[in-house]
Amino acid sequence: MRSTLILLSAAALWSSLEPGAWAAEVKVIANWSVTASAVSADELKSVFLVTRTELADGSRVEPVLLKSGPVHDAFVTRYVGKTEATLETYYRSLVFAGKGLMPKTLASDVEMVNYVARTRGAIGYVSAGTTVSGVKTLAVK
Amino acid sequence: MNSDIKALVLGVALWATPALDAQFSFTLGGDPVQIHSFVSQGFAYSNDNNYLTMQTSRGSFAMTDGGVNASIQLTDRFRIGAQVYDRNIGKLGQWHPQLDWAVADYRFRDWFGIRGGVVKTVLGLYNDVQDVEALYTFALLPQSVYATDMRDAWLRHRGGDIYGEIPLRGLGSLSYTAYAGLRQDSRYGGYAFLLSVLGARFDSYGGRQVGGDLRWNTPLHGLVAGASRMSQDIAGKGTWYLTPGLFPISQPVLIEYTEHTLRDWTDQFYGQYSAGNWRLASEYRRYWRDQSTFNDTWEIRSDVRGWYASAAYRLSKRLEAGGYYSRWVVTWSNSVPGSYQGSPNQDAPDRHVYDKVVTARFDLNRYWHVKVEGHFMDGYGATYGYPSGFYQQDNPQGLKPKTNLLLIRTGWNF
Repeated sequence: MRSTLILLSAAALWSSLEPGAWAAEVKVIANWSVTASAVSADELKSVFLVTRTELADGSRVEPVLLKSGPVHDAFVTRYVGKTEATLETYYRSLVFAGKGLMPKTLASDVEMVNYVARTRGAIGYVSAGTTVSGVKTLAVK
Repeated sequence: MNSDIKALVLGVALWATPALDAQFSFTLGGDPVQIHSFVSQGFAYSNDNNYLTMQTSRGSFAMTDGGVNASIQLTDRFRIGAQVYDRNIGKLGQWHPQLDWAVADYRFRDWFGIRGGVVKTVLGLYNDVQDVEALYTFALLPQSVYATDMRDAWLRHRGGDIYGEIPLRGLGSLSYTAYAGLRQDSRYGGYAFLLSVLGARFDSYGGRQVGGDLRWNTPLHGLVAGASRMSQDIAGKGTWYLTPGLFPISQPVLIEYTEHTLRDWTDQFYGQYSAGNWRLASEYRRYWRDQSTFNDTWEIRSDVRGWYASAAYRLSKRLEAGGYYSRWVVTWSNSVPGSYQGSPNQDAPDRHVYDKVVTARFDLNRYWHVKVEGHFMDGYGATYGYPSGFYQQDNPQGLKPKTNLLLIRTGWNF
């Protein structure tokens, strides 16, 4: 009985760490040039770590981030596996080593939706309740 | 402009610009050009021994560096940019700016790209960013692996890289870099400074570098492990003023001087684990150098082994605490008749530098930080054989076996 409870608790904790458990808070959006309707958690992480510029279906992608806020924090922690500060340090490491540029950052959900709608290959994120006309929503599997 | 005025200008820029809160960019032909910069100012104070060519026993502010870069993404796959860097750390750098990197980078696919020009060298966790102290917890990276006075030897090469990332289906991914190019040392680096006390003056020092790095981004979230290898073929040219006592001669004499590599390689192994607010890292580097010197008359061998283990914890948005233990051991020999060979025992102070370090990093805002760091060092290394951070000419009173150092460093970057 005790071992079963421990296993159930561990399973509950583990499932709470899976991306799907927090999908209600953050929504991943993309430009309509991105043909995929879903993206794996590993792909999404690689896109935002700028180690991947194409999805598995060949769509060319560009990460776009919010500057700050709870939606940004939630996305970065859950899908990129870093804190806001360590992700910024990671991007600056690329910049100061001559191996990349800072990605585009935007101040609000509205700016994010507008930018993703008009920018080929853009992938970003907004709060789950944001109206996302003009862009597609990507499921994270 | 003398050093005091330069430090003052940089200091004013440092204190004034935290008011800015925007990435600087402009468009060129419709494409955005990003401009980024960093600057840092330090204060070092030690008991007894002077360290890293600074007069730290009296307290020294001679610890300033900074850089500025510009980059532009011309197409989806093609980027160019350049960064200029300058420093004055004691007698290192002496305000002689360097082209830190200048790169044209074309990424054919995620698993294959090329870059060429002046390229920062991938070697271990921090080699290519060791000159940007804003990017890590510590005021000084572990000197057992990332020696500030030997930075020129590994930091960059003029040549080209191939690189890429390969997914491993459930096993994470592999990042690889392979490179070939030329190393070109500054006249104001540690090796030239070490040998200047013996009468040497280099007009040129550098040569071929070939190497690679393989990094496994493991499926365990936050765990990275890797290995790097570099081979070098280095030549130096200049003059040497030989004096009796140091050399087996009866009268001083000035000679044309050359040296070249017989065998020179570096192996480095590393691991890093990040989880939540923790970041743990450890690296090991072995550097073997077998050099034919004095116009092929004598041979000098150095076997330098260093490692460290570090931990850092983010206590709050503004405060991070960390520490590391660093061990550096050198074995050297040379065939110059009558020359000092170093103690046979590794525990003698001229054979090692062991360093225990504690650090507090305060992030005052997104762009500006202050670090307070204590070093508790045992040993001073091979002050006649290989740069160790301690130099005879800075310590004419003789070196004490232990050094305690307080380092305060503030920096700004955007």
